[in-house]
Amino acid sequence: MIIKFGTGERGSFPILLLALVALPSVLVALPIAYALIRSFDAGFSGILAELLRPTSLELLINTLELAGAVTGLTLVMGVAAAWVTERCDLPYVAVWRVVASAPLAMPAFVASYAWASLGPSFQGMGGAIMVLALACMPLIYLPVAAALRGTDPAFEDVSRSLGHGPLKTFLRVVLPQIWPAMMGGALLVSSHMLAEFGALSFLRVQTFTTAIFQQYEMQFDNATAALFSLVLMGLSMPLALFEQNLRKGLRRARSGKGLARSPMIIILGGWRWPVLALFVAFAVLAIGVPFATLFYWLVTGTSAGMGLERLLPALLGSLSYSLSGGLLTTLLAIPLVLASLRLHGVLIDLADRLPYAIHGLPGLVIALALIFFSIRYVPDLYQSPLLVVLAYVMLYLPLAQSSIRASAELVPPELENVARSLGRSPLAAFAEVTLPNLMPGIGASLALVVLQLMRELTATLLLAPSGVVTLATEFWSFTNDRAYAAAAPFAAALVIISGVPVYVFTLRTLRRG
Amino acid sequence: MLGQTKRQFLLGGSASLGLLAGGRMVRAQSAASLTVYNGQHRQTTESLIAAFTKASGIKVIVRHGESAQLANQIMEEGARSPADIFYSEISPPMVALDEKNLLAPLEPSIWKEIPGEYVAPNKTWIGTSLRSRVILYNKAMIKPADLPHSILDVVNANWKDRVGYAIKDGFHEQVMAIVKLKGRDAGLAWLKGLKQNGRLYNGNGAAMNAVEAGEVPIALNNNYYWFGLAKERGEANMKSALHYVDRGDAGALVNLSPAAILKSTKQNDAAQKFLAFMVSEEGQKAIITPYAEYPVRPGLTPPFNLKPIAEIGSAIAASDIGNAQLAYELMREASLL
Repeated sequence: MIIKFGTGERGSFPILLLALVALPSVLVALPIAYALIRSFDAGFSGILAELLRPTSLELLINTLELAGAVTGLTLVMGVAAAWVTERCDLPYVAVWRVVASAPLAMPAFVASYAWASLGPSFQGMGGAIMVLALACMPLIYLPVAAALRGTDPAFEDVSRSLGHGPLKTFLRVVLPQIWPAMMGGALLVSSHMLAEFGALSFLRVQTFTTAIFQQYEMQFDNATAALFSLVLMGLSMPLALFEQNLRKGLRRARSGKGLARSPMIIILGGWRWPVLALFVAFAVLAIGVPFATLFYWLVTGTSAGMGLERLLPALLGSLSYSLSGGLLTTLLAIPLVLASLRLHGVLIDLADRLPYAIHGLPGLVIALALIFFSIRYVPDLYQSPLLVVLAYVMLYLPLAQSSIRASAELVPPELENVARSLGRSPLAAFAEVTLPNLMPGIGASLALVVLQLMRELTATLLLAPSGVVTLATEFWSFTNDRAYAAAAPFAAALVIISGVPVYVFTLRTLRRG
Repeated sequence: MLGQTKRQFLLGGSASLGLLAGGRMVRAQSAASLTVYNGQHRQTTESLIAAFTKASGIKVIVRHGESAQLANQIMEEGARSPADIFYSEISPPMVALDEKNLLAPLEPSIWKEIPGEYVAPNKTWIGTSLRSRVILYNKAMIKPADLPHSILDVVNANWKDRVGYAIKDGFHEQVMAIVKLKGRDAGLAWLKGLKQNGRLYNGNGAAMNAVEAGEVPIALNNNYYWFGLAKERGEANMKSALHYVDRGDAGALVNLSPAAILKSTKQNDAAQKFLAFMVSEEGQKAIITPYAEYPVRPGLTPPFNLKPIAEIGSAIAASDIGNAQLAYELMREASLL
């Protein structure tokens, strides 16, 4: 038997849960099926020849270098920032927490254009690693900071009382506790890097994803693009499985709520100045430079004000599509997370991990798969809003899963069993006991997914009904036409609107524990 | 306070989901409006459509995208395509659609308005505007006398790391022009030289910005990008200028932006009206106002200070470029793709 039910699971709940798991699983299977169908058009020898081309090797090296370096750099920056803001006596710590989370509101393609326009030394692999590491740092910082708040400081006190210094305590006691949060964040960063397109096209770096875009501009039924998609999935699946294995056997649920005491604060002393300087430098590089560039476009270009009548439709387009997408993605992620925590088996593990493998694919491939299947089998769905929202679900399920899982792991399954033994039906037990405890995760998921969706470009462009505009599509379209001043208000609106979910998400994450 | 924000989020999400559901979750049949798949510059098309709707009262819905990508999408859609008209920035995707037999014949009253060299041999598409390949150079970095006379020269070793290029609009046609004039091997050698000695940018605009910023002294480009930036920045502030290789050289190629009606359209009459408007005096003016392109209709003066079309051009006509599939294969062989 492949699926084994956990302790105390009986009746209709697992069946219903499985049915709900099937829905997102079918969705994420579509791009895989599409890539396989298109790849096999090339035939076995064609596939082999394509993969052995020198270009493919060049792309593989670039892709791995970018993903590896950005993930490594964000881990170092994010963990250091989290440790300093949560464990040290940093002055004005509230300000620095905002600074460390703020890049989330700045779309990477806006930041990348700003940097690329400053000169060739910021382009190429070096520039891309810097710009993207700055942009992705909050994806490590926030979960690690939250984990630091959630850990029991008693372990650290014991370590310090045994004579270990702050560094040794960090390495031996703190690091193992925040390891799952670090690896969860690292998984998201690395799959973001595999799928990144907009930023890299400004920064002149070629990866599998930029090659997929380029190939697709040449041929629609493109076996090379499909094959590269399979390679990307092949790169992200092991990472996803590694992260899953890491979390196995960890039990983070506690029946008591809250911490007894606050942790011992480390006195920075003379170190505070270099630390402060680093935070200021981060603020300037990650937020200051892109904003200054936006402002520069606005005051220097003659295209300023062009297309301004589309600002409101674009704003409404962004909000309605991203909120719908955020809601549906979150709803579909809940059963996936619950199933992965409560049920066991290969199929359940796979259903939980497949969305992560898909997350390493560019929106283009998701869109192509949906075009392919909808035209053939459900023509009424083609170019409908629903199809866009389905693409959003496929693109961002993992963000929702990770957020909800963080809450779900803290709910002991015994609580539900108690409710069941008191006569509640499985569904009622879920609604009355589990769901309220999931709310922090659901809030974080909504904020994070909506944030990413507001800047989503490719799937929106390819799938939305003709004539629909969003802030991201208008920004992209104006920069393509080099009307930078006209693009600036759309970028500014995007950044300001993104501030809302970033604010909600940051508070939500940092209040937890 | 936080709970409130969360509720607002949920509320907003449900409201917008309802909005989408109540509106149009599935595609409605398009009523009395034309749908244009547009790969041409957005401002050009918007200017054209505004003038057309004003003159005819016919509403137009636009879907913007890259020309080749939209053509591919139309092929995938086949007979079910929602598009009535395809307006492409470049000619190869249009030729590819024609070869798949997806285009409807045009009324003679349309193609008779313009010179025959800008019309498909089987009269399924028309050129609507022209643009020329150029070399952009940074005035402070290089003297006009040192600029190449032929596009074939820019891949020599003495140009190493000094030539910007982009595999975008106009590049495929450029490769095809070299192949048609000098042969396949010359085309392949040129691409290999470019791969080795040139600097690849993600678009013609980025390559132009690189010349402006002094990253490279010259870049292969289309003529209108420079005029676009000069309009945004002011001509006096431009650090780059346009250079034309010798007339007749493959690098002096003039390309066209074609438009066509899809066979699958259910609104052939309105679509024919749209194309007739594109080559009318009024339509041509709307097309050449936003970007520095040449009109296809004789007797119109472009609003930009363009080098006269009679003084430029290669020995290859725009309609001889074909679907450029060979250019794609050569680029792969040269490891550019």
